[in-house]
This record gives sequence, C-alpha cells and structure tokens, in this order.
Amino acid sequence: MGGGRGAGLLLRAALLLLAVLVAHPAAAGQLDRAGLERHFPPPLVVGEKDDRLPVWPILKQQAGSYEVFAYAFESVDLAPIPGFGGTPPDLLIALAPDGTFRDVTVLSHHEPVFLEGLGPEPLFAFVEQYAGLSARQAIRVGRPNARAAGAAPQTTVDGISMATASTRVINQSILASALAVARAKLGFGAANVGLKVEARPDLYEPLALTDLLARGWVRRLTVTNADAASAFRGTGVADPSEGPPDAALTDLYVAALDPPAIGRNLLGPTRYDALMHELGPGNHAVMVISAGPEDAPENPVGDRFVLGAVPERLAISQGGLIVNARDMAVERRGAGLAEGLPPGPWTILRIDQAAGFDPSAPWVLTETIVRERGQILSEKIARTFTVETALPADLFTRIRPDDGPSWTDPWRARAPELALIGLMLAVLVPVLSRQRGLVADRRRFALFRLGFLALTLGFVGWFAQAQLSIVTLVGLVRAATVTHDLAFLLYDPPSLVLWAFALVALVAWGRGTFCGWLCPFGALQEFVGLLARPLRIRPVAVPPGLDRALRSLKYVVLAGILGAAAAGSPLADTLSEVEPFKTAITLYFVRAWPFVAYAAGLLVLNLFVFKGFCRYLCPLGAGLALLGRVRILDWIPRRAECGSPCQLCKVRCRYGAIAPSGRVDYAECFQCMECVTIIHDPGQCVPEVVARKRGRRAAPRPVTVG
Amino acid sequence: MSAPVHFAPGRRRLLVGAAGLAALGGVAAFRAYAASRGLALRTRAGLAFGTTVALTAAGPDPSAIEAALSDGFAAMRAVEDAASLFRSDSALARLNRDGVLEAPDPHLVVLLRFALALAAETGGAFDPTVQPLWPVWAQAAARGERPGAEALRAALARVGWQRVQVGTDRVVLEPGTALTLNALVQGYAADQVMAALRARGIADAFVDTGEFGAAGAHPDGTPWRLGLADPRHPGAVAAVIAPFTGFAATSGDYNMSFSDDRADHHIFDPATGRSPRALSSVTVTAPTGLAADGLSTACMVLGRARGAGLVAARPGCAVRFTGKG
Repeated sequence: MGGGRGAGLLLRAALLLLAVLVAHPAAAGQLDRAGLERHFPPPLVVGEKDDRLPVWPILKQQAGSYEVFAYAFESVDLAPIPGFGGTPPDLLIALAPDGTFRDVTVLSHHEPVFLEGLGPEPLFAFVEQYAGLSARQAIRVGRPNARAAGAAPQTTVDGISMATASTRVINQSILASALAVARAKLGFGAANVGLKVEARPDLYEPLALTDLLARGWVRRLTVTNADAASAFRGTGVADPSEGPPDAALTDLYVAALDPPAIGRNLLGPTRYDALMHELGPGNHAVMVISAGPEDAPENPVGDRFVLGAVPERLAISQGGLIVNARDMAVERRGAGLAEGLPPGPWTILRIDQAAGFDPSAPWVLTETIVRERGQILSEKIARTFTVETALPADLFTRIRPDDGPSWTDPWRARAPELALIGLMLAVLVPVLSRQRGLVADRRRFALFRLGFLALTLGFVGWFAQAQLSIVTLVGLVRAATVTHDLAFLLYDPPSLVLWAFALVALVAWGRGTFCGWLCPFGALQEFVGLLARPLRIRPVAVPPGLDRALRSLKYVVLAGILGAAAAGSPLADTLSEVEPFKTAITLYFVRAWPFVAYAAGLLVLNLFVFKGFCRYLCPLGAGLALLGRVRILDWIPRRAECGSPCQLCKVRCRYGAIAPSGRVDYAECFQCMECVTIIHDPGQCVPEVVARKRGRRAAPRPVTVG
Repeated sequence: MSAPVHFAPGRRRLLVGAAGLAALGGVAAFRAYAASRGLALRTRAGLAFGTTVALTAAGPDPSAIEAALSDGFAAMRAVEDAASLFRSDSALARLNRDGVLEAPDPHLVVLLRFALALAAETGGAFDPTVQPLWPVWAQAAARGERPGAEALRAALARVGWQRVQVGTDRVVLEPGTALTLNALVQGYAADQVMAALRARGIADAFVDTGEFGAAGAHPDGTPWRLGLADPRHPGAVAAVIAPFTGFAATSGDYNMSFSDDRADHHIFDPATGRSPRALSSVTVTAPTGLAADGLSTACMVLGRARGAGLVAARPGCAVRFTGKG
C-alpha cells in the first residue's frame, strides 16, 4: 500500500497549500450603491440603505416627493441557502410595497448545471417568472411547462429538467429572503402569510349536532331582547323590541366546515364533498345558520342579506384582524343535513388561503346589530356581539411557507425511481455476496453484469440523473467549513440513496461496489470497451512504475478540489470539471465542444487503457478509495498458490488490482468478480486444473488471505 | 397629535420640496449652472419615520457632500432609535411597554421635555399621551365604524400629560399611559440633520424629514423655495414660501384618515378623544423644526384664533391655516 500512503501525504500537503493560498470569502452581499444604481437606473432613485436590514429602498420621484418603488436586497444576506454545489446562490430581489416581486436577477451562483452545459440562460429565464407573483403566497417549483399544463400561475413557476435540486434551492432563497423583508418592512407576519392549514381528511367520526355543540365545535351566539336592550342602553336608541326579554332576538349557529368531523356531519357526505371540491385545498368555509326569528330586521342572514357578498352584519376575525369572508351563495335545499339543525336561512362563507386565516387557532364571529336614533336626522348606532370558536389543533395540518419547499416533495415525486433503484440494489447485494451462486457461472454472470450495467447507465444515469459526483463531496466540505447546512442533500433523493448504499458497501467491500456497478460513466466505459476487440485495438501495457505514479494522480486531483472547497474558493467548481460525468451523463453530451471532446477523449483512452479515467484521474474514485480503507471484509478468496506460482488472476484483472504476489489492492478493485469467478471455476482456476490432471481429487479449498 | 401610521410610506406630502421644483425646471440646467459656480448638488433619499425622506446639500467637494449626507442619515437614525414608534425597540416603544425607562436616550428627554412644556402652555391641547386613543379608532375603523362613547371614555381615562415624570436618569409613566412623539420627531429630526450637515461644513442644504428645513441657498444662487400643496389636491401647489430658510411643519387631516370625508383622522383632541373638525391643515414656520412641528399640531387642536395667539407669542414663528372645504 505504498502508493496509498504516498497519496495521503500528497493530499495533506495539497490541502495545506490551498488553505494558505486561497482567501476565505464570507457569504455577504456584493452590491454597493453604484452597483444598485446600475440595476435600478434613473428615473429610479436608490435610497439610503436601511440601518437594520441589508435592504435598499428604491424610490420613484413623484411631483417633488418620493414614493417607494421597491425594496431591493440580496438573497444571500437574508437567506444564504447552500446550492447544489454547496455555495448559496445570490439573487437581487426587488419587492414592491404590496408584496409582489418587481424583479429577480441572478447576481451569482455556483450551480454546476448552470455553470456549464445548460448554461446560465435557463436560470435567468427561471427567475424572470417571479416578476408579478406575490410573496404572500407560497410559490412552488412545478415540472417544466407546469404553468402551460394548468398549474396555478400565481403559485407555481415552471421547473427546469436536469436542474430540479438547483431550482428548488433558488426558489427557497427567493421566498425566504422576501418573507424576511416583507415581515420587517411591509408589516407581514401579523397575518399568517402563506400559511396553509388543511383539515385532516382522515379524522372523521359520526357526531350528532348535540355532540358538536357539547364539544364546542359548533358554537351558538344567542342575543336576547334583554341583551340588546342592555347593549343599547344610554345611547338614546328607542327600544323597538316587542317580545319578552328572554326571547331570542337573533340566534346563530356557527361552525367551521373544513374538518370532516364537523362539515360532513352537518352537511351530509354528498354536500360536504361537493363543498370541499368547490372550495379547493387551503381555503376555508364557515357556516352561519339562523335559528332566531327569521323576519327580524336584526337577523344577519335575513331578507337583507346579499347573496355572494361580504356580509354586512357578520365578520370573522382572528388575533384582532378581520378576515375577508365572502358568501359562497350555496343554496339550502335538499335533504341530508344534520338532525336538529335549525331550519332558518344560512350562509356559507369562503375564506381564501391568502387571508392567512388559521382555523386551528381561536377565531371570533362578530355579529353587528344596528339601530337608529332620532326621527328626522337619524343616526346609526351599532353594537357588536361575539362568539369565539377554538377547535383542537390536531384536526388540522399546518404548513408554514417559511419552512421552504418541503424536502419530502422530491421524495414523493421520485418514489418510482427510488423503488427501481432499491430493487437493483436488492438484487445486486445477494448476487455479489453469494460467490458460489451466479458469480460462479461465468456465462450467465457476464450476461447479468452487462444487463445491470445497462440499467446503471440508462436508468440510474441518464434517466434518474443519479450519477454520484465529486460535486457532492465539494458540497459536503463547504457545508462543514463554510455554510454548515447539509439540507441540499435531501433535494436529490436517488443520489442520496446511492450515496448511502455506496458508503455501506464501502465498509463491507470497498470502493469497487460503486465504481464497478453503480457509476453510470463507469458503465459507459465498460460498454465502449467492448468495441476494442472488434476494432482490433490492443490494450496498452502501462509500465508498472508509471502505473503507480498515475494511480496517485487521482489523489492529487482530489486534494486540489477539496482543498479549494475548504478554502471557499470557486476554483473547486472549475477543478471538478475533471469529471466528465456532467458532460456524458447529466447533459447527454449536449455541451460546449471542449467538454464533449474531453469526455469523448476519455472514452477513446478507455479503449487503450481500460477505465484509465477511473484508475488514474477520478477524484470521486480517489475519495472512495481513501474512505474504503475502513473496509472490514477481505472478501476475494485466495489460495496459497495465488501469485506463486499462479498469475492467472493477476493477468486477467483488467484493473491491475492484483499484485504479482497475488495480493489484492482493494483500493483499485472494481468488484468485477472476474477473479472470484475463476477461483470458483474448476475448469479455469489453474491449481484446480493441475490438481485434477494429477488425478488428485481433493484440491485444497480456496482460502482467504488477509 | 399625530399617532403612528402603520402603513407603507406613500401618498403624503403637503409640502413640495424645493428639489422637486428644481426637477420640474430641468435638472440639467441647474446642474450646469451650479457647476459653473463650482458647486456640486447632491440629493440622497431614503425611508425614515415610516415615510420617504430626502436630504439635499450643496458644496464645492462632492465627496464631502456625500459624507455629510451619510452623517445626516445617521442623525435621523439616532432620532428614530430614540423616539420612533415604527421601531418596536426604540427607547420610546420600550418606555410604553415597560412604563419606566432607566437612563433614557438624551434625544428622548429633549423631546419629552418640549412636549410636556407645550402641553402645559396649551392647557393640554397638545398632549403626548393620546396614544391609547389610536387602537380604539383603528379597530373601529377596521369594522367600518366610529368608536363608541364608552370605548373613548375608557381610553381618555388613560390620557393626561401630568401622568409622565421625566428625569435625565429615568422616565416613569403612570399605569396605562402610552406616549406618542410622532407630532415632534420629524421636525426634531430636521434640526438634528441640519446640525449634522453644518458640522461637516455644509452651508447650503434643503432637508425633508417629513417636515422641512433649509439653510443658505440653492447652488444656482436662487433662494430655496417651499411649495405648499393643496390639501385636497396633493399634486397641486397652493402657495410657495420663498425665500425659505429655517424650518416648516404641517399638520393636516389628509395624512391618515379614518373616514372618507376626513372628519376623523390621526390628530386627536385630548379633551374629546375625537379629531378636531375645524381645520384641514396648519403650516407653521419656526427657527427650529421641533417648534414648527409641535406648534402646527397644537394649532390643529386649538383652532384658528387660539392657535394664531400661541404662534404669535413666539419670535420668528408664523402660521398659515387652511379650513375644511
């Protein structure tokens, strides 16, 4: 393992050198006044920067005074969310005083997919979609063309294929920083901006109206003649009430309908389902039914009630703020309503999600009773009566927009891909561990291997976009040293699953499991390598000294990249281009020609020096090889004869991972199983063949050498 | 008495700044003329006290002007930290919350002493303790109503300038008392900004902190002019004060109204808990922004006759009334 130790020393030296050379940049805004003036040229005026928040007011001169045109800020100052490459993107955001985005511009980003390949244009087009959208709503990244396909244009932006994780991070940066500014500058926050509260559909139990009243889930607001008289006492209003003092002047039943335990029981299943369908997710419905005298002028849902309007005499409020509630003009007819529900007129009020209403927190229904004073110049005097409803919070699920786009979304959306990847791994593990099974069958195992590699290249690589890459390690190093945020990993589930598997396999078997079976570029090289024989290309024999030196090269590359990342240098992104993965797998070779030429060149090299890239250059392979030193199992069986006198496996190993002594260098092993197949094949393993020729039956069993 | 206006800054300005008039006349022409006299003119706008502000200064050295404007904004921020109700952590906001403030900000002490002296002089027509009326009116307005007599009585029970004890080491409020200095902070900020500019050697400046101050002249040699807008047609100029030096402040019903007819607005008569109904706006010019600002609010409550008497008693002050109409 002399090469390994040398590489370790090299790595440490390179890290040290880079740490000294490269300055450590802090994540902070980059624009000064002049910079902002370039983005907001006259007649707009860049105002004095706020002294509390890194926000610049952008003003507009109007008849000698100024009006606020927008609040401009850099997302990195307020929400430095690490991107796919581990560095937060920086966006210049202009938020209008009413909470709509005036403009979003990319100042800088390190998203690998937009640095090269796709180029930055799709990203620029992506952020342009925000202009005109409101920060009051939670905006989600949909699929490409989601808007054209009918997604809500006020809450959805079109995603970019091949850049799902990056666009989510950008979206989160925009929303989180805008919300921080809106809270401080626009008075957001008193209302629950973008809060999404939905009734849990699973919590249904049959309840009678009496049960609902007893639990306080349906509330009753009764105003008697005496109540009204005492409220208007001293105002000079003549008491018009005729009935007995104890009789109800108005009597209202009040209920939030969203929870099925309330709405379904009150309305019956058919009407409830129809109402919820009409309402749409995130919005709320409150029902008010009158049980009082129907023709009383005080009845808030009586004759003077205007269908489809915001009711004059009823208001819903929460935390002292009135919530906009509008009659849905739902007619009361047909059967199926709850037993005992008063027969009087009703209104079902719709509360839009944007109102920030939270039915899981206490809310108040206010009824206003208006009376007139005076005969000729009459004056209206109003009195209010209230009833509070407090429902158990666990009837609802609450999603706060500042939680950002949920990391569970991509996991749900990519469940089918995850399932197939899981299946592949579930097949691979037993096949590789049962060495006397499929592995021992040379012909069938070769077919299995080709089939599996085809899946790795076509499905894992090109379709699921789960090529593991040094970029992730760069992100990890940046997270450890600069950003302290690992959340970016969660947005790319297939890669995370493969990483987890690769790390476990690393402990058991070494780097070979990933490099030999799950690396899409590795699989591509394997297939290209099949062309060598028909093309009559003979493998080039690399002299052992040169081979050792070249093997160490990949550790130097790794050290350079990780060192740059630890130092916070963008050089890490550039150096990571030594990997052809993005060109060959992520971008299907659709990229600037130097990158395509490089990747193609490596594939041609592969015809002469099998997997030359993997063995000599690949920084990810180097990283895995270093981590693989924790490997527990020496799982490749060896015989006493291996190396002396037999050299068959050494010669047949296309990776040069077997020393002339017969020793296996697991850091270079790709787990192709060639040598394992040989040793279990009595027709191939030379000591067995010799033994059989000599007529001796009992060849010694393969032994494992530590 | 002003009260906090929890709205985004915008539509307000009875007074049209000289810089604005200059813009109408053609910035390029002014620049050329100023440059020929060897003077540079710089304006920096921003947000303070919940509204837009703008500082304009002239001088031979552009970088010195920029430095002075930065100092001007710093002076304004210091006043905001002391006495703005737009900042939940200002000294005044903390005093309202806790009822007591140890080692109060010196700006706050100056403002409170001025406010209490003016309250005594006007027999309580000017009163910094009307803050409890604000939520009563704001909540009623949200329901589309006026507050009931009972609610106003309850709030008025907590109003009274004698309920405040001011010392340099501590300020104490009686329980339930809350203060607003919104009627004074912008004028006081104009004083502070002007002092900061002067300390940087700026002789010619025009300051708009929501109230106005001017010193010297425009670099083109003409005096500063202050346009007074028509309170019912905020775009139109009703009158012009020229030459304008010193300070000017306006109180009016247009700034923040609870009713469309502007009968109810953000200035309260501490005697009734309702808005004074006689006047639409009052503009006072004075040697300090603090005096101009305080007097204009007091005049809104006192009305034409008593207001004119209050202002006439002070040297260097003048008042202009606009009735409702």
